[in-house]
Amino acid sequence: MAAPRQLPLSGIRIIDFGHIVAGPFCVRLLADLGADVIKVETNTRLGRTGARRGPPKRSGSSGRTPHLSQINRNRRSIDLNLKTERGARIARQLADAADVVVENFSNGVMDRLGLGYADLVKTNPRIVYASMASFGHTGPRAGWIGMNVNLQAASGLMLATGEEGDPPIGISNSWNDYIGGLHAAVAIVGALSKRNKSGVGTYLDVSQFEGSVAMLGGLLFASGVTGKPPARTGNRSGLAAPQGTYRCAGNDQWCAISVQTDAQWQALVALLGERAAHLRGAACATVAGRHAQHDAIDEVIEAWTGALTPVEVEQSLKSVGVPAAAMRRGHDLAEVDTWQQVLKPIAGDSGIKVLGLPFDFQGVAPVAVTDAPRVGANGREVLRDWLNLDDATIEDLMHEEPA
Amino acid sequence: MARILDLTSDVGAYGTRLLAELGHDVIRVEPPSGDTVRRLEPHLDAAPALEGSAFHQFLNTGKRSVAVDLANTEGRKLLLALVKTADAMVASLPLPIEQNEILAANPDLVLVRLDDGEPELCNVASTGLLAITGEPDGQPTLLGGHVPSSAVGVYLAMAAAAAIFGKELTGTGSVVDVSAAQCLATLAEQVWVEYSVSGEALERMGSRGGITALAGALPCADGHWMVSVPPDPRGWTNFVQLVPDPAFKDDSSMADEAFRRDRKDEILDLVGVWSSSRNKHQIVQQAQDLHIPATPVLNPLELVDDPQLLARGFLRPVDHPDFGKMNFPVGALASMTGQAMSFAPRLGQDTAAILTELGYSTGDIDRLKGQGIVA
Repeated sequence: MAAPRQLPLSGIRIIDFGHIVAGPFCVRLLADLGADVIKVETNTRLGRTGARRGPPKRSGSSGRTPHLSQINRNRRSIDLNLKTERGARIARQLADAADVVVENFSNGVMDRLGLGYADLVKTNPRIVYASMASFGHTGPRAGWIGMNVNLQAASGLMLATGEEGDPPIGISNSWNDYIGGLHAAVAIVGALSKRNKSGVGTYLDVSQFEGSVAMLGGLLFASGVTGKPPARTGNRSGLAAPQGTYRCAGNDQWCAISVQTDAQWQALVALLGERAAHLRGAACATVAGRHAQHDAIDEVIEAWTGALTPVEVEQSLKSVGVPAAAMRRGHDLAEVDTWQQVLKPIAGDSGIKVLGLPFDFQGVAPVAVTDAPRVGANGREVLRDWLNLDDATIEDLMHEEPA
Repeated sequence: MARILDLTSDVGAYGTRLLAELGHDVIRVEPPSGDTVRRLEPHLDAAPALEGSAFHQFLNTGKRSVAVDLANTEGRKLLLALVKTADAMVASLPLPIEQNEILAANPDLVLVRLDDGEPELCNVASTGLLAITGEPDGQPTLLGGHVPSSAVGVYLAMAAAAAIFGKELTGTGSVVDVSAAQCLATLAEQVWVEYSVSGEALERMGSRGGITALAGALPCADGHWMVSVPPDPRGWTNFVQLVPDPAFKDDSSMADEAFRRDRKDEILDLVGVWSSSRNKHQIVQQAQDLHIPATPVLNPLELVDDPQLLARGFLRPVDHPDFGKMNFPVGALASMTGQAMSFAPRLGQDTAAILTELGYSTGDIDRLKGQGIVA
């Protein structure tokens, strides 16, 4: 029998110097791939704050806001104030024992603390070191600071979304933090692969801005060739018509519909019955024809959906093979199979469910979800496991006065 | 690096591009009629029909192309021969060949299977992302530029890169299942957190979203700029230096983030009046000098000669065979690693070379071409 299969990053040690969402989210992805993660933080730092809407309604057992509690799950925490000699020295020792460092401080902060790549690589040439500044650490905007909304704006996303004449339109969550974290995670895994061959690590100067711009690469390429801004096509699609979000009965209730084929169009027209009699002809039989009549078609569809709930619309259309999906929010998300598959219970907690990885390695058990630690909850354990220190040395370190 | 066969639809194509950016040899296997990516709009007229999709030009950068008809027995045999030489296959479901045949041909293959789910707009509706995108009093809106598909692609790249890393260590492959809908659901995490904490739904906030009380896209003389006023007292002091409106300077209660949150729209309207006669790049530079997170709101055209993207090598000036001189976007990973990125391949550009490598004779190749089995 072969040994039990493991997740691919099992045994990879990662230090999370990240704060707010982007860095810690990147690290969470790597933890879900099997990595052993410690978070270096201190109670005086941003690691515990930010990234929430209004006052926290429940802080959870980790002392973090609910969102940050989820972002910071599956890792151990050691409390080190990096501005003290003691904190920086212990952090340096941990970095010598690590495979990967992730940080998303502003330009120059880690260098000033003596924890930059140039410092760490001297004693740990195998280190993969990922910085995640908003715009990267080089170029004319190296010193700029940017929140998620700033990157949504600067990347082109807000003017690529919506219809002609709309104001800039954004997505009301930490979208760009997630996108930055995802790109950094891919870069880190790629660098670990290269290390398997070369034996040496690398420095990854991740720019969250570039990740966000690349998400729109097709439109950027088009503008680079045509010299024109891309058309803002809203909810419509060049290859599918009609496509849109249609208002349903109730307050702010909507259903998405996307007719992908001519056969689906015929099924829709049949379902709409007499009200669509004037759309049955050859003029609407092709995508191009339906694009020409899109407004008129939308009117007929909305006259029908307006009397139904989004789920009724979704079910009617799906039953005749037309792609449709009710717009879900809050409570009704839990009814969707997709969500049930991706929600994972926190080990040993009171039935709280959090989001796990959206993929499965067949035949390998996913990591058990553990709650975010309180700041400094695992200091002794981390020093023992990573630095192989004996209890007496650990006690000395824990009680050492900050210099 | 690894040889990866790419049989993804347009949903996964950004993921395999990222694998090319990591230095892997990515071979796109597509039908002789061309894949769906080649049909995405907008179309660039300077190139032949199946080469002119701007999304094809971006998403297939760095890949090779083999065009083969997998509905044909000889075509499937060809794919299995290619599978024997590969480290990984990344494919949208359904697989073109039975999975056990693929794994019999190469038991140590990394096989990443992508469930594309429903059309993009339906996927974002059912996962919760649609409800938080758009103006509060307007219709919920799809993120533009196929950004939801790109997001699925990044997850796909992570799954594949990790499985390849695992194979390097253990010598054994693995089968990984990626669900596009699940990928998008995880990106709606805050919707779930808010609901599980308060029982309330997050709602769309249009151009005035953001974590801090005062955040939004505001008008200026040449478009919009985006500001996020830091929540701490010093952030407000700095902001008043940028926008010295008496209503801000003289009202000490404004220094309180909670107070500002209650008057968000009123305050942002005043800032918008101040900025409406100014230039966005000047405002933003002044704000950054005061440590206020601010950026211009840009469209993709304004980014094609962006100094930051050029300075870091994300954009590289090239002379493109179809499009002439342009700034070519190599990508967010290639800009870091310096990976050379070839232009998107013509349909079947590498068919003959790869078939030759597999042992097909020139006569075989000509016959397969003549029969329309390869292109």
